[in-house]
Amino acid sequence: MNLFGVMEASGSAMQAERMRAEVVATNMANAETTRTASGVPYRRQHVVFAANEDFANLLGGAPTGLSLNSPSMNPTQPFTNTMQPAGGVHIAQVVADNASALKRYDPGHPDADSDGYVSYPDINPLTEMVDLMGATRAYGLNGSAVQAEKGMIASALEIAK
Amino acid sequence: MQIETRLSDQIAHYLDLAASEAKLTAANMANVDTPGYRAMDIDFETEMRSALAGTDSMDATSHVRVKPEEGLVVRPDGNNVSMDRESLKLAEAQLKFKTGVSILRQQYAMVMDAIHADK
Repeated sequence: MNLFGVMEASGSAMQAERMRAEVVATNMANAETTRTASGVPYRRQHVVFAANEDFANLLGGAPTGLSLNSPSMNPTQPFTNTMQPAGGVHIAQVVADNASALKRYDPGHPDADSDGYVSYPDINPLTEMVDLMGATRAYGLNGSAVQAEKGMIASALEIAK
Repeated sequence: MQIETRLSDQIAHYLDLAASEAKLTAANMANVDTPGYRAMDIDFETEMRSALAGTDSMDATSHVRVKPEEGLVVRPDGNNVSMDRESLKLAEAQLKFKTGVSILRQQYAMVMDAIHADK
């Protein structure tokens, strides 16, 4: 265990929160996208956070009364980092929302169906903004944790002076 | 002959524990948005006592006991990390660490004074 490990844990969280903010930005950018590469309307994306597995061994001891309900995730994880510092967090999955598309009547639209309805993604700007605020706050929290850890390392260097 | 004082050994344990506390707090902060995650804690006083009881073994902190933090509100996603509480705990761990460092420096300064006593 060393002090730099603390920064790795906070760093992994900052990385994950930034990814979350990026996904929110993608959702907001594509709020009106009726045509994606696969030809269907855009679907809202969610990130799923998961605690790094070796958390229980963080301090090198057998934990007592530890009940960590780590969500069991799909092992096919395209967004998993190869390096997962103990005690940190990683993005287990980015999943698409199952909500059905919103129908708007616009017969002149090139993506309108035979009845004249266009399918738009079900994206609520309010929900996205709240999610973005959460990501920003958590990012700031971990940023200040890194600052604190830097202070500790700097003061540890003072011993030798 | 031993150069280090008994107190400096004890302070080393204190620093190790403060670092462990900081690490645990950082881990809690990192998982502030992980569904189902429960905040973890160490009992600083108990751990310090047991470290002092077996103060000769240098790996006293290798078996620090981690326990779930008590009295926290669980959010609907099963997570109970409180941002404010963790910030406070990190600040506390940081101050503990700095206290330990300054006492340790004082101990070393004392030894240095003894070494240079003839000058």
